[in-house]
Amino acid sequence: MSPAAPIEPAKKTLPESSSSGELSPERADLEKCRRFGDLRGVQWRIDLGILPSSSSSSVNDLRRVTANCRRSYAALRRRLLINPHIPKDGSNFPDLVMDNPLSQNPDSMWGRFFHKAELEKMVDQDLSRLYPEHGSYFQTPGCQGVLRRILLLWCIRHPNYGYRQGMHELLAPLLYVLQADLERLFEVRKQYQDYFTDNFDGLSFNETDSAYKSGTPHMEDSIKVQKDQVKDNYLNELDPKIQTIISFSDAYGAEGELGIVLSEKFMEHDAYSMFDALMNGDGGAVAMANFFSHSPLNGPQNGLPPVLEASSALYQLLSMVDLSLYTHLVELGVEPQYFALRWLRVLFGREFALEDLLVIWDEIFALDNSRLSRGSENESEVSYGVLKSSRGAFISALAVSMILYLRSAVLATENATSCLQRLLNFPEDVNLAKLIKKAKSLMTLAIDAINSKPVGVRGQSLSSDLVAPGSPRSLVPESYWEEKWRVLTKEEEERRQASPQKLVQNRIKGWSEKVKMRLSRTESARLLSKVNHKIVDRSTSPVRKNLLDDLARQLGSEEDEKLASEDDSKEQFSSVNGGSEENSSIFFDPVSPRCCAINNDHGNETERSSVASNSSVIGNHPAGLYSATEEVASPLPVSDPPEDMSFKEVQNDRTKEKSVTNLRERRLLAGKFQWLWMFARTGPEDSSEKGVCASESLRSPITECNQNNVAPSSSTTEGTSKPEGVDQNKMSSLKDVARSMLEHIEVIESVFEQEKAQTEPVAKNDLVGRGQITAMAALKELRKISNFLSEM
Amino acid sequence: MVLVMAIGDLHIPHRALEFPTKFKSMLVPGKIQHIICTGNLCIKEVHDYLKSLTPNLHITRGEYDEDARYPEIETLTIEQFKLGLSHGHQVVPWGDFDSLAMVQRQLDVDILVSGHSHRFMVYKHEMGMVINPGSATGSYSSMTYDVNPSIVLMDIDGLRVVVYVYELVDGEVKVEKIDFKKTSTTT
Repeated sequence: MSPAAPIEPAKKTLPESSSSGELSPERADLEKCRRFGDLRGVQWRIDLGILPSSSSSSVNDLRRVTANCRRSYAALRRRLLINPHIPKDGSNFPDLVMDNPLSQNPDSMWGRFFHKAELEKMVDQDLSRLYPEHGSYFQTPGCQGVLRRILLLWCIRHPNYGYRQGMHELLAPLLYVLQADLERLFEVRKQYQDYFTDNFDGLSFNETDSAYKSGTPHMEDSIKVQKDQVKDNYLNELDPKIQTIISFSDAYGAEGELGIVLSEKFMEHDAYSMFDALMNGDGGAVAMANFFSHSPLNGPQNGLPPVLEASSALYQLLSMVDLSLYTHLVELGVEPQYFALRWLRVLFGREFALEDLLVIWDEIFALDNSRLSRGSENESEVSYGVLKSSRGAFISALAVSMILYLRSAVLATENATSCLQRLLNFPEDVNLAKLIKKAKSLMTLAIDAINSKPVGVRGQSLSSDLVAPGSPRSLVPESYWEEKWRVLTKEEEERRQASPQKLVQNRIKGWSEKVKMRLSRTESARLLSKVNHKIVDRSTSPVRKNLLDDLARQLGSEEDEKLASEDDSKEQFSSVNGGSEENSSIFFDPVSPRCCAINNDHGNETERSSVASNSSVIGNHPAGLYSATEEVASPLPVSDPPEDMSFKEVQNDRTKEKSVTNLRERRLLAGKFQWLWMFARTGPEDSSEKGVCASESLRSPITECNQNNVAPSSSTTEGTSKPEGVDQNKMSSLKDVARSMLEHIEVIESVFEQEKAQTEPVAKNDLVGRGQITAMAALKELRKISNFLSEM
Repeated sequence: MVLVMAIGDLHIPHRALEFPTKFKSMLVPGKIQHIICTGNLCIKEVHDYLKSLTPNLHITRGEYDEDARYPEIETLTIEQFKLGLSHGHQVVPWGDFDSLAMVQRQLDVDILVSGHSHRFMVYKHEMGMVINPGSATGSYSSMTYDVNPSIVLMDIDGLRVVVYVYELVDGEVKVEKIDFKKTSTTT
């Protein structure tokens, strides 16, 4: 269990420079007296909050706490390193259908086993590349086994984080310092061997010890006895540090062997508790695990993953300290997270050699991690929550001082690539003391920066762009097959429930729900639903009702022709309506709510006109519509609202029945274009809500398209009415948007493929078949348009 | 913890159209380390599909196989177990216990996997086990009536093998489990 190769104890420590007591966090640090300066393992355990930090805690207290931590780890290990052969307690006859090796059920024993095997593969990949320059310690199978087990157990325990690359680099130095402590212990043991005698009751028993002493033969013995007694007295005169080391390794103190603070046997346990405390932040502000998660900390308001938040905090501090350097970096387009991601996630582990890193971590851990409160903090006051403690402030200050260290090199670079090269290849021999001193001097500024509001909207939306289109792909909590299994079993249940009911009535509903569900399970949807529920709630109801009333009128009348009873269709429509509204939120791209704004001037017009053009389209047959498509889809002509109005007049009479789905499909795509153009024009506005609600109703029926008609026609009419809004600056963002639109198209298309493949010819209408075909055609048109956009 | 799937007698495309979908949904690449196939696939497409599940595919020749290059008999060692594989049409009388035992002794294997009868069977015989994975597609057989599709999955762990049988009865997958422990290590 313990690694065989000895390591040289890390002799490098900064001189106790906590005398720079100008800053308040330092004073707190002084109180938390650094008793165990040269026993890093113990000191870090105190700093991380595992061991009691008050100066009055005795060795026994330390021992007790240590023992408790170790016990909990041991229990965890026993519980979670499962062996599928061993049946769970109480179940002698496990349900074989669920628990067999091929079962897709992720909750089965085998499912967990395979999940663990996957995690292990990922962990091993990283571990094999860990610290090759210290390979004599880190690459030994014993050490690797310890690291692997710790990481696996932590990841199984925290399934919402999973295993991310970089966690192993956080763990490695922790294990290293524990080993270093042990080495120190061995040294001391060798030196002061006599003091380590097995002192039970504090006395040493001599063989020839007897109350009855007689004659000279005992003289030598008694001299020896005296000598021993003298040594015992001297124990108290030893260096107190040595004393503590000795007392830490006493096997007879509180909690016995489990309480030996510097213990070889329980290194794994200690390392696990240290790692856990580091990741969880021990209730404080800086929790390393946050840097590995994708979801925003403060809910959808802030909208940024914690790493981005922290990186922008960095930049804010830099701007306060050295504005020219900051502007230079911003001009080059160097976003902070390009380099800060690595810095933060591994806590500078990659920038410094191991010995230097230990010094830095000494400083970081020495600072208190409790959350800094700033008077009255209400919900709306958004600040950098992820770094809100002295420790966090020091981290950002250190990062800034590192950037400042490279100042001249960075200022000399002319493009982002070379700048990043300089930043990411931090020089080897660095004057650590200077670096840390500078960081400490920046502390007050850092605390201010952290407590302030985050940098402006543009920065936010840009970085959210960076994250949002990409993140749906990066959210992989469950494996693909387990997802599919869930989908399949849910569908089967739905099918069974839906089948006894009347086909006609539930034809649209059942199918649409199925498709809705399937769509809702696509990865993009998962993220979207989270972010956008809020937006949906805030949307103004009257406009929404307007839209839906229009829809209801037209659709209701059309459906009469196709379906049995008018009432049924109305109900159905309303139920579909209701159902689709919930899901409409699902289909949003996080970018759109922020930026999708129907221009106030044209707001209602466009809505009416879209309804109108939809109805116009309804009137014609699909064939006619194709021609309409072609004509309209010619790259973004500027069609003016008057055209729409004319359509409206013509078609208002014709209240044809159409199923909900057609309209909605079109409106969905209309919505896409709307927000596309709106994004160009505006940032978040109140009018965004209107646009949002219009788009909602538009998007939902993508699932329910029966007879599909020209979506792009209406969409382009709306979309092109605002070409002047396109800012040159927003071109790249447009491209992003176009890309995300493409993604959505792909999603829709894949849904259609699936549906086509899977629908049995049981309840099929021509409608469905035709509808799908027209949907596909519409999608192709849309694709063309988006390609054009991206070329722009 | 080696997972080995035993499968055979699919008779695609002659007697069956395709792999049952329920089985297909269970067979996910990456979980199974070895596939041993008794034969009668019969076409290359099935071979390719099985190969996509795992690169370790062992297959012997059945009388209807279109690829003539498969061997008649194959042996392999997995952990502590020696497995023998043969289609079974060579052993006459078909499905006879004693004749199969002769083959097992001849090959000197702990587990003999053979098919042809399309009837799933697992039994312990003297020093070892004989497994007939049945027909994975439930295809017609002149010897057996009412064939249900079945496949066998063996979980080999040291000296112990757990046999899981997946049978498709009335459209539902039924699973059975059989334990087998070897008394001594392979010499």
